[in-house]
Amino acid sequence: MDCHIEACNQPQEEEDIMDIPLDDPEANKAAAKIQAGFRGHMTRKKIKPADQPEGDEEEEGEEVSSSGEALNGSRGDTGQ
Amino acid sequence: MAPKKDAKPAPAKAAAAPAKAAPAPEPEAPPPPPPFDITSVKVEFTPDQQEDYREAFGLFDKVGDSKVAYNQIADIMRALGQNPTNKDVRKILGNPTDDEMANKRVDFEGFLPMFQHIVNDPNKGTLDDYVEGLRVFDKEGNGTVMGAELRIVLGTLGEKMTEAEIDALMAGQEDENGSINYEAFVKHIMSV
Repeated sequence: MDCHIEACNQPQEEEDIMDIPLDDPEANKAAAKIQAGFRGHMTRKKIKPADQPEGDEEEEGEEVSSSGEALNGSRGDTGQ
Repeated sequence: MAPKKDAKPAPAKAAAAPAKAAPAPEPEAPPPPPPFDITSVKVEFTPDQQEDYREAFGLFDKVGDSKVAYNQIADIMRALGQNPTNKDVRKILGNPTDDEMANKRVDFEGFLPMFQHIVNDPNKGTLDDYVEGLRVFDKEGNGTVMGAELRIVLGTLGEKMTEAEIDALMAGQEDENGSINYEAFVKHIMSV
């Protein structure tokens, strides 16, 4: 059983894996739907950090201390 | 999140009479109607929604002419929560050539009915669709697929993904055996 997978850069050691239904329209349709969902997800993930115009590109590490500076009050800044 | 549609997909082709010759003089020239009958699509978004969309649209305008290129349309729709196939988008654009994809531009008013059409699509992929689609490759019926298999499927079937796209998608998804629990994977995908 030869599985010649076209347009694929995968190493030949994986040729035993499966018979990929390259010509099956249903399989291709299902794949296209999944790929569409994946592409949607990746685009949304990609633009997320771009939404926030902050210099820090930390998605998860929200340092309270950085915003806490203002709360601590300015030290020696103003002579009041 | 994609706005819920109340649209009745009744084709208004029989009614004909596209509003080309509008009685009221409009300051902006209406976009030329593409072969795909986009004029039959009624835009039903609320003003609030349109404001959100306009903002996203504006982010993609790198030229400053309040328009975006055809080849950006799919990404704007994805940014706004939809998952159109590239084929869907090309059809809406009237099956443009690659050159047209790169050089033709559309303004926000032209974009809206395109987006409405995608939003109205009754064949949108659901969580179930994705899970069932991947279940086909679950040889052992244990809820997992081999990452390597999935990579091959994504790269050779349907609208082939590039290696870079696949890498980005699957980063950190495979367990120590190189397997992926595809239901969890799909849920993760759908959550963004």
